[in-house]
Amino acid sequence: MNITILSFAIVIIFLFVVIESVRRGILETKYSLLWILTCIIMAILSIGTTLLNSLAELLGIFYAPSLLFLFGLLFSLIIIFDLTRRVSQLNHKLVTLTQDFTLLKQKLSEQDKIDNEGSQE
Amino acid sequence: MEQSKNVLIIVPAYNEEESIGRTLQSLLHTTKASKYNIDICVVNDGSKDRTAEIVQSYPEVKLLNLPYNLGIGGAMQTGYRYAYESNYQIAIQFDADGQHNNEELNTIIEPLKNQEADMIVGSRFVLPTEYRGSSMRRIGIVYFMYLLYALTKQKFTDPTSGFRAINHKIIKEFAHRYPKDYPEPEVLIYLHKKGYIIKEKSVKMQARQGGASSITPFKSLYYMIKVTLSIIMQKVIKE
Repeated sequence: MNITILSFAIVIIFLFVVIESVRRGILETKYSLLWILTCIIMAILSIGTTLLNSLAELLGIFYAPSLLFLFGLLFSLIIIFDLTRRVSQLNHKLVTLTQDFTLLKQKLSEQDKIDNEGSQE
Repeated sequence: MEQSKNVLIIVPAYNEEESIGRTLQSLLHTTKASKYNIDICVVNDGSKDRTAEIVQSYPEVKLLNLPYNLGIGGAMQTGYRYAYESNYQIAIQFDADGQHNNEELNTIIEPLKNQEADMIVGSRFVLPTEYRGSSMRRIGIVYFMYLLYALTKQKFTDPTSGFRAINHKIIKEFAHRYPKDYPEPEVLIYLHKKGYIIKEKSVKMQARQGGASSITPFKSLYYMIKVTLSIIMQKVIKE
């Protein structure tokens, strides 16, 4: 089987999985956009042999389908980086939230102590 | 008139059941005799042992009980946020393992009271003291001293010292933002960049009284590489 057809098939199946995940609420819409964009570009590149060939020629690549791997790899890197940034943001929020929670709990127990002492008198 | 709150000692503790009791006992003893109005607060960083229970048996000590482990940076910041919200003038970091000498508290409080500096770091190496760490540890400390000197042109003889005092300006700064990963050396760069005055005072320290250092010899090289990276990143980081 031709590599272009194989990759096109994989990309289409993957696109379907992404859309289905959004539909079922497993993947948030805003996070799916980058994935859908990736799928569409990869699909166009893998089916449009002439486009791929001329691009490869432009970049001086002898074996045109290897350009597909390059794009695939680049997109993966971009998405992973985007993810680590989001994880960092989430981590920051979580730490702040934990500290808020702890400080509030301390305030509450301090208040309880004062109330107890008051009721004993 | 209500006296304004003075000094808060923040003790970060993670699985310190062996030594926290003794540390608190001697701290309470010192603070009661002190001319300053000193409060003590323990940040229990999600310990899995009896640390929190032991702290609760000292009603004068305030306990900030984190539900899970945040690491030293997140834990210390919790203490600084508490100090900021309760309007303390000075905050002191004090390790739970009994390394720090409570008789030296005045040594690091006084220069802040006299407004000589914004932060005082207690150093084992300004003057020769009896302190003997492992040779690996001393190599690391000297290495960080030169790294920080290259970046700040100021000599910090004990950059990883966890015995330090800060004034209200820096409490506010830290409540807002505090380095997470390796705060002791990173803070020095951060504050130096912002133009605060940091000074070192010679203090005596004991070998730890219990518990284990978070830095084992096996991990030291890895630790040095990681800290070097975070110190350099701290230098280039945007405000």
